Amino acid sequence: MIVEDVICPFCGCLCDDIRVEVEDNKITKVNRACRLGASKIRGHERIKAPMVREDGELVETSYEEAYQRAAQILYQAKRPLLYGWCSTVCEAHKKGILLAEEVGGVIDSTATVCHGPSIIGIEEKGLAGATLGQVKNRADLIVFWGSNPAEAHPRHSLRYSTNVRGKFTEGGRSEKKMIVVDVRKTRSSRNADKFLRIRPGTDYEVISALRMIVGGNGDLLPERVAGISKDDLVDMAEMMKAARFGAFFFGLGLTHSRGSYKNIDNSLSLVNELNSHTKFMIMPMRGHYNVGGFGQVCAWETGYPMAVDFSRGIPYFNPGETAACDVLANGEADAALVVAADPASNFPWSVVEKLAEIPVVQIDPFENPTTLISDVVIPSAVAGVEVEGTAYRMDGLPLRMKKLVTSSYPSDEEVLDGIIKEVRRLGDDN
Amino acid sequence: MREITIVPLQEFEVPLEAENIRPDIFATLSLEEIRDLEVWEGNRRRYLSDLFSVAGNDGTGECLIRLDGDFSRVKRIGEGMREGEILVRGNIGMRAGSGMRGGSINIEGDAGDWLGREMRGGSISVKGNAGNYVGSRYWGERCGMRGGEIEIEGSAGAYLGDHICGGQIKVKGDAGDFPGASNRGGAITIGGDAHLPGAEMVSGTIVVKGRARVLPSYGFQETAEIEGQLLWKFVGDLVEKGKGELYVALVEDDGQLDK
Amino acid sequence: MIIKGGIVYDPTNGIFGEEMDIFLEKGKVVEEAKGKEIDARGLLVMPGGVDAHAHVAGTKVNTGRIMRPEDARSGLEPKTKLLRPCTGYTVPNCYAIGYRYARMGYTTVFEAATPIIESRHTHEELEEIPIVDKGALTLFGSNWEVLECVRDDDLDKLAAYVAWGLRASRGYGVKVVNPGGGEAWGFGTNVKGLDDPVPNFDTTPREIIRGLVKANEMLNLPHSVHLHTNNLGKPGNYTTVLDTMDTVKDITSTRDRQVLHVTHMQFSSYGGTGWRDFESEAPQIAEYFNRNDHVTMDMGQMIFGNATTMTADGPLEYNNARLLHAKWSNHDIELEDSSGVVPLVYGRKMPVNAIQWAIGLELALLTESPWKTLLTTDHPNGGPFVNYPEVITLLMSKAKREEEMATLHELVAKRTVLPTIERELDWGDIAVMTRAAPAKVLGLAEKGHLGVGADADVTVYDLRPEKIDPARDHKRVKEALGRVKYTIKGGEVVVRDGEIVAVPRGRTYWVDASVPEKDAERVQVDLVEKFEKYYSIQKSNYMVQDAYVTDPVVVKAGVI
Repeated sequence: MIVEDVICPFCGCLCDDIRVEVEDNKITKVNRACRLGASKIRGHERIKAPMVREDGELVETSYEEAYQRAAQILYQAKRPLLYGWCSTVCEAHKKGILLAEEVGGVIDSTATVCHGPSIIGIEEKGLAGATLGQVKNRADLIVFWGSNPAEAHPRHSLRYSTNVRGKFTEGGRSEKKMIVVDVRKTRSSRNADKFLRIRPGTDYEVISALRMIVGGNGDLLPERVAGISKDDLVDMAEMMKAARFGAFFFGLGLTHSRGSYKNIDNSLSLVNELNSHTKFMIMPMRGHYNVGGFGQVCAWETGYPMAVDFSRGIPYFNPGETAACDVLANGEADAALVVAADPASNFPWSVVEKLAEIPVVQIDPFENPTTLISDVVIPSAVAGVEVEGTAYRMDGLPLRMKKLVTSSYPSDEEVLDGIIKEVRRLGDDN
Repeated sequence: MREITIVPLQEFEVPLEAENIRPDIFATLSLEEIRDLEVWEGNRRRYLSDLFSVAGNDGTGECLIRLDGDFSRVKRIGEGMREGEILVRGNIGMRAGSGMRGGSINIEGDAGDWLGREMRGGSISVKGNAGNYVGSRYWGERCGMRGGEIEIEGSAGAYLGDHICGGQIKVKGDAGDFPGASNRGGAITIGGDAHLPGAEMVSGTIVVKGRARVLPSYGFQETAEIEGQLLWKFVGDLVEKGKGELYVALVEDDGQLDK
Repeated sequence: MIIKGGIVYDPTNGIFGEEMDIFLEKGKVVEEAKGKEIDARGLLVMPGGVDAHAHVAGTKVNTGRIMRPEDARSGLEPKTKLLRPCTGYTVPNCYAIGYRYARMGYTTVFEAATPIIESRHTHEELEEIPIVDKGALTLFGSNWEVLECVRDDDLDKLAAYVAWGLRASRGYGVKVVNPGGGEAWGFGTNVKGLDDPVPNFDTTPREIIRGLVKANEMLNLPHSVHLHTNNLGKPGNYTTVLDTMDTVKDITSTRDRQVLHVTHMQFSSYGGTGWRDFESEAPQIAEYFNRNDHVTMDMGQMIFGNATTMTADGPLEYNNARLLHAKWSNHDIELEDSSGVVPLVYGRKMPVNAIQWAIGLELALLTESPWKTLLTTDHPNGGPFVNYPEVITLLMSKAKREEEMATLHELVAKRTVLPTIERELDWGDIAVMTRAAPAKVLGLAEKGHLGVGADADVTVYDLRPEKIDPARDHKRVKEALGRVKYTIKGGEVVVRDGEIVAVPRGRTYWVDASVPEKDAERVQVDLVEKFEKYYSIQKSNYMVQDAYVTDPVVVKAGVI
């Protein structure tokens, strides 16, 4: 059987043109996807059965037992953290938020280690965005700042940005300009019409300098800004102003370098101001395929897109205090649930050490380093391959992920439902 | 003045929220009623006396609260207070004195993040260091601190006085990144070093008596003498058509010092 | 269930303040029923409220939430055994929306704008809004296929596209925002009037409006075209509106309703040449409505304090943000439209705001028939929907209006005629503006009235209409309107004494319109090409799946 137009559960590009061949409930061939996406769709070795840690060893158990153990851990905790959510569908997010309410926990997504600062920037300034098709049809100038799509979002250029043709961009790449700003040469910078190599940690200053030029105050700038010549900056600013439609994509190089959310805040203002000269949009290059979806669901359910603390029954939001990294780094969390993410690989080591000190429940199809520090491990079906559901592309466009093969594992949603039922039972008993 | 002394009974496994530890709330309550005030231990509602010993004068009336011991995991102390005094003989946790309108909080140890967030009046002093976001605003709001004074003998973390709209902050030591961002009328003095002060400042002043990296969107004006020290005076942030005044003793440029 | 002895206002059925019993069974109003009795003796009883225009779900609304954490600090209500926690004032979370409408006695709300390609998101949020029934109006004012059909004067194909778009979005009606402007904004420009050409598409706003109104009537849709006019929010725009309404006067409605609904009229009734000589032209607009029957409007009343403006009118929001130096979000939607979100504060002492406030009231008070003027605040553009009790009491009490005006900038007395208006609406007028008329305008036969066969949606207010004078006791009235005695939704008591006591799921209306196969096929040929060349997603992934509308009410319409 051939399934057409499959949606790829890898990165925030959410490519929806993948062709997958399925035989005897097994995926045999993946076409059109990039290497990263194809590998994700094919999958790899699975966690076989639920496990609980006994005398230091993970031993297999039943789902019922695993749900009970997970519920006990979360119910007894005074400040449980419910973390992850980037690689599962919105249906699971909804259950996760409900569970967080039930146990009075803190819920946060992997944005805490990727585009959390971008969201804070947006809270400050708003975001001048557009769907990726708008970029495809109109953009004649594309900026990648601290972002290396050639490696991290391999089909971005072909589907949406530099190397695609659209209604007003029929000439494709030859009629478009591409600017890359980064601290090092990358595969993406090799293809750029202009590459601005900046010193690490100077993004904010460079953006301020560009804002000065765009705002007509370039003459007040010094000859060099953070090592970049003024001519180079003027050239870049003029390219941006001269565009018919400009698109500014930024990645972790901007959000996680010195300056953090202020870098995004400043970039949003730059793009805002460019709109008094031409049309310009800006967008974070979201990593995991549905980290954006968590932000959407969390916002409509709680009013906030991440880092929500339910400990007092009313949502409270304060990144710096209630983001997953904060809650762990400050030694606040006394238990954790990790769903569809791998904090043991992605958090700073000092934070991972804190995570290792508290009881951890993991829900994931695959074993990863977080499994090693988990006390309850519950395997689930792979969302977007074995389970249908909603995901939001990096531009906020929602798509319905397909079910390609049937799994004997429960979905993340079902697992969370199982835990919620046990938590409620504990609540009724007390 | 009536004195109430509060001492933790244990080390706290998870942080507490204790916005009821506030002199003007205590002022109307008997000792017994104070002991029955609500405190949150993570997601558990507790009585103050479950977690602290509470001793002092009974009756009602204006109040000095002495906090003896480690309060570094106790958040929101003095939040919104309008009068009275809190004396902390130790460290204090996050969001102390946030939204405070009057009275004073004196901390002998260190203060956590968000000290005096959205403060409108009163005074806070810290003998040790303070964390990030001192006197700042809540996310998405236009204004942080609008009035009152914060003095820190040690150093402060990043985002000192973010979106400050009034009042004064003095730090004897260093400040971290982006002090006085989006300043709209506050006054910040930093005894030591800072990184990129006054980003998007519209009005107000920032004085850095040590070394700072200055944004390219600031215009150099002249030299000025402040408290006997010769400083470089800049105006900005020009990206916001700002008229804020920034004074810096040593200007850092690309790893070297010039000017 | 029997609602005993209420003083009933049911304008659709000609009932204005009669004491009578209402019988409910299996979710409907019936001739006679047994069961639980609700004691409503002497209390004001109306059908459940219907809001025909509010921004309650979808990308814009959620963008508002994401960019406004400061808004979510207000309106806090903790989780209970029954209720999810609530946050927000101008952009409340989904639960707060459902609970707050129910507490005001509203049982139906329509989301005012959803682009087809992002309707999946709109429905995800609608599904999470508890209690109330709902629907969404689909944006058609700048879609490339619409622009091309209008340019080619191919009405059959246009109608077929509209039918397909409604199905693809699971939408209820045709929403048009600043026609042509959404496309122009794709390259940062706008259309400035009805005859200003849409760049690259060789058509005009006038042609788009006429084309869509004709297509709407060809499809015999329950609702008319729902229009946010060109030049909205700009001084002097009332002439655009008058011209717009005249331009569809010759088109006949195929149903017993208006041929065009002009929404949040307050924002389109402006005189002056700029903000300095800004003034009300509401009397001109009202006069037009008093002379003509082919159009309806809703107020778009402005409320002082915080608002979050959100609209598919992208250029308007950009200008707002520049003018106010406010946060600005923009979201352009490939091949379909644009949109923007800007938070702002309406100030009593700001001349423009004071005049805007008066304009909304003038529109409702100077238009003779309440059937033509629905009560809205264009939530949360003019202000949040929780202020409907405020708006109702302003309409019912001249004394309250005078108290308010005394706190406003004095220009309100010079640039509007509000101080001279004596009219005070009565409960019958209010029942029309908040129930009967919105249901009629939307074409919802089973909503907004209490005749046999109507949905069992009923509001019982803790007010004795025979004993209270709303003109004088407006404070008491406002309080009672915000905290009803009972809200009954689908035959179930959901609010008692202002508290939510049950949280049923609401249903979602959408329209499935049939068209001749040949036209449907011609549209498909165009769409296949558009998806291959221009859209960034596959056609097969475009249409909203049934999974997103779990309790649908599918209204059939169409050419055949």
